[in-house]
Amino acid sequence: MGARLGGDAMTSATVGAAASAFVRRRPPAEVRRRRFLLAVANHSLLIAAAIVFLAPFLFIVLTAFMTNDQALSPDLWPHPFRWQNFADVFHNAPLWRYALNSLIYGGLATLFLLVSSIPVAYALSRLRWRGRHAAFLIVLVAMMLPPQVTIIPVYVMWAKLHLVGTLWPLILPNLLGDAFSIFLLRQFFLTIPEEYIDAARVDGCGEFRILTTVVLRLAKPAIAAVALFSFLFTFNDFFGPLLYTQENPANWTVSVGLSQFRTLYQVQWNLTMAATLMAMAPVIALFFLAQRAFVEGVTLTGVKG
Amino acid sequence: MLERRRSRRKAAWRRRGTVFAFMSPWVAGFSIFFGYPLVMTAYYSFTHYDLLSSPHWVGLANYRYLFQSDQMIWPAVSNTLWLMAVAVPANAVFAFGIALMLSRARAGIGFFRTVFYLPALAPPVAATLGFVYLLNPATGPVNTLLRHLGIEGPLWFDSPEWSKPSLVLLGIWGVGNLMIIFLAAVIDVPRHLFESASLDGAGPLQRLRYVTLPTISPVILFAIVIGVIEALQYFTQAYVASTIAGGSAAASAESANALGYPLQSTLFYPVLLYQQGFRYFNMGYASAMAMLLLAVAFAVTLLILRNSRRWVHVSGAMR
Amino acid sequence: MRRVATIVTLLAVVFALVAVSACGGDSEPAAEGSANITFWTGFTERELGVMKDVVADFEKQHPNIHVKVVGGIDDDKIVAAIRGGTAGDVLHSFASDNTGAFCSNGAWIDLADYMEQDDISDDIFPPAPRYYTQYNGTRCALPMLADVYGLYFNEDMLAKAGLSGPPRTMSELTDYAKKLTVRNPDGSLKVVGIDPLDGFYENAAAHWGPSWGADWTDDSGKSSLSTNPGWAKMLQWQKELIDWYGYDDLVRWQNTAGDEFSPQNAFEKGKLAMNVDGEWRVAFIKAEAADLAFGTAPMPVDDAQPDLYGSGYTTGSIVGIPKTSKHQDEAWELLKYLATDTGALVKMTNGIRNVPTTSDALMSTDIEPDENFQVFLDIFGHPETRTTPITVVGAANQELFDAFVTKWQAGKVSDLQGGLANVDEQIDAQLANAGGAQVP
Repeated sequence: MGARLGGDAMTSATVGAAASAFVRRRPPAEVRRRRFLLAVANHSLLIAAAIVFLAPFLFIVLTAFMTNDQALSPDLWPHPFRWQNFADVFHNAPLWRYALNSLIYGGLATLFLLVSSIPVAYALSRLRWRGRHAAFLIVLVAMMLPPQVTIIPVYVMWAKLHLVGTLWPLILPNLLGDAFSIFLLRQFFLTIPEEYIDAARVDGCGEFRILTTVVLRLAKPAIAAVALFSFLFTFNDFFGPLLYTQENPANWTVSVGLSQFRTLYQVQWNLTMAATLMAMAPVIALFFLAQRAFVEGVTLTGVKG
Repeated sequence: MLERRRSRRKAAWRRRGTVFAFMSPWVAGFSIFFGYPLVMTAYYSFTHYDLLSSPHWVGLANYRYLFQSDQMIWPAVSNTLWLMAVAVPANAVFAFGIALMLSRARAGIGFFRTVFYLPALAPPVAATLGFVYLLNPATGPVNTLLRHLGIEGPLWFDSPEWSKPSLVLLGIWGVGNLMIIFLAAVIDVPRHLFESASLDGAGPLQRLRYVTLPTISPVILFAIVIGVIEALQYFTQAYVASTIAGGSAAASAESANALGYPLQSTLFYPVLLYQQGFRYFNMGYASAMAMLLLAVAFAVTLLILRNSRRWVHVSGAMR
Repeated sequence: MRRVATIVTLLAVVFALVAVSACGGDSEPAAEGSANITFWTGFTERELGVMKDVVADFEKQHPNIHVKVVGGIDDDKIVAAIRGGTAGDVLHSFASDNTGAFCSNGAWIDLADYMEQDDISDDIFPPAPRYYTQYNGTRCALPMLADVYGLYFNEDMLAKAGLSGPPRTMSELTDYAKKLTVRNPDGSLKVVGIDPLDGFYENAAAHWGPSWGADWTDDSGKSSLSTNPGWAKMLQWQKELIDWYGYDDLVRWQNTAGDEFSPQNAFEKGKLAMNVDGEWRVAFIKAEAADLAFGTAPMPVDDAQPDLYGSGYTTGSIVGIPKTSKHQDEAWELLKYLATDTGALVKMTNGIRNVPTTSDALMSTDIEPDENFQVFLDIFGHPETRTTPITVVGAANQELFDAFVTKWQAGKVSDLQGGLANVDEQIDAQLANAGGAQVP
């Protein structure tokens, strides 16, 4: 047995030495069994981890159907199923208004951001000029510094303009570019083959026309990813809306509204979980609809890092 | 000849004009929302300013209070450092581990990938609320399950020792984004490297250490840098967890005092800054805190990047 | 390309329209000769309804002033709004603590001129409310309804345990608490006699202190947490009881207690046998738990100071006008009505069950009698009843002390006296530095 094992190992090594050109022989039974066991172990771990990762969602859903007294007890399964909770949430807090505010914030911010960031990203990637590299470094640095560093004077500025209490302090700055989007778009623009652009230049197109006709059309997936990220960011944004709209409940976004849910409306855990679920739902739905764009966008940030 | 030179110069001007036009939004944005505020933060840090009357100069008083007298600074700083030291590696390890398992899986990769990515999509406020409920010491599912197993679970968000680990657990749950990036990197490791390694007699663990890790080291660096940046800005989860857990039975009006519940264990630097600047409106002092944050962020990032040259391999395939 | 541009433009227009409509709703132009003012109040739900009623009466008397009532306002919002220039015209705050800050930095206007013009003297207010609505001679607020704290107890539970009458001393309270506590078979707490943990519901150092005769400052105005013996006694007593329960067990139990202002309130649900609470609870119980057999009594007091019995702690709501208001005259009319009109105050008292803050209103025969509520009116009138000192740093002294108390109760403090002295130092340092040289 041992000799056979040794013999086979040597044979596979000899084969492996010329791996690329040859068809691989089936590895010996022991190796195959070990690999099979490893695969099973790997899969079991994966399944266990998946259960752990999904469990929180499960419990949130279950609690969302409980009565309040049950939510305050160690029971795990709702008895009875209280569908009314979801209606009660709206009775307790104007979730519709919060959703509308989130939508306005997200929609306008994304729009402005795209309009302003695309030219900047183009200039940083495809136009040749002195200081281009330095400018890009500055963009990177701006991305990395904590927002708390600049927040005070900016707040003072908006307070003097009497815009505190509204969402405008969050929306308007996007008219002047957003560091993260510029970064993403620049990375993508760099991958456009020079030939396309040269061809357009030869045809006599000015840079602006090149941007709008050639580049935009090619960059649709990247733009979709950036728009998606931007929307996601604004929907999840808490610090910004908290800072600027906390005193004015009419302008709360979903994130702020959810956090204030229990303090203001004396609410119970079952309703809070129902509201939490409703806050998570749009994002998850969006993900399933736009999976490809998501994954691509995430990869864009990291791999070329 | 002259014609050509003139037209070339005109073209150069036009090009500069185009560049300027394209860059102008960002230049304006940078000046108004970054450059100018940075300078003003420095200025405010030397004043006493509460937004009701104009700032008045106090010299180094804010800094003196910051370094000598404020009893909240030390918890804030140490909590943030703790987060950096614990959460960043924890997130990286879990993201990498899951990515590794996924890369080895034979079937259902798409399904598993979705499962692990989904929590990362949950809005931070919603996720935190969910976890505060889940980890409720008396009635939460986690402690209920532990009780069935005969273990008396800790007080989680109500315990000064367990509140930060609870936040780390929350962070690990949401590690999906990082995991996807690691997955892409792991899959991209060239097969021939593995094969030559196993030829040389390397077992799976050694292959991991000498092939996989060095090849994906740029991504590890990325994870560390992003993690540190996030730790220095960590606000939402701490704010929501402490106000919800801390205010769970108390009067609603004083939610600001619950920040850091319990016993300042969740008082992170950005949270304290917010409290000083936008609850108490000590804007001068908060600006001094912001300057300190700036210095630390700068120093730490520089440190990591400088150090990275030693262990990060930038191979030809990845840039 | 053109299609994309059209779609984008359309979307932009739609968004812009929605945005404008969503945020432009608040300011409608006032008709000629009339004014629209906004009244910000902390009340919500049922209590807010009562306020709206009272304001409607005011509008009938002043047909040229229209008032918009906004509920759910807390001090954080007030503070932020004044700085952002978006505050209402008449502001109501539940906590008198910020009077010092508001008056000294001019956030709320000085009312002296208006009061003189309308011939209102501040004697019409009883001593405590008169004190906590001014700072250093500047009166920038008027009191509107006061809060008084006492002991609520569940009569059924007391009867079942064979206890008659409410506890009058701290040792009786301890005895009652232990007898009324019920544990589950697995050892966790089911019903708690009384919960002394700071931060739970209305538990705060300021509310328990008066039972021990504890004062925040000595005669020279310095913080007296370490020099006044009442505080240390209070902390020792609390710690002993907490240790008897088991700190972790108590925290776990607190997580099963419902929200203080919800129908799941632990006392209303029978999970808590005795509770320190304010006089408003009487109305809440009537509305949410009408079957509950409960009684009210003054707080039990230190065994060594039996004369204190019958006193308690009081604080109250304050109302004022921010300096950013553009209709200060009209705001003053509403303010005057809310704070001094006997009819209005009585209506609020009957509906919200808070204590009225003018001597006239207190003696009005229109107040609906309720024996449980009467207890609080009596406490309010007791000479030993205390309130917290008004300082220029607002409630910072209480916050600092409560943070210390929480630490002490969790068992993290080894040197009680030293710890108290440290808190005194911090409070005095903050007060000395506030408003100028050093920081907060």
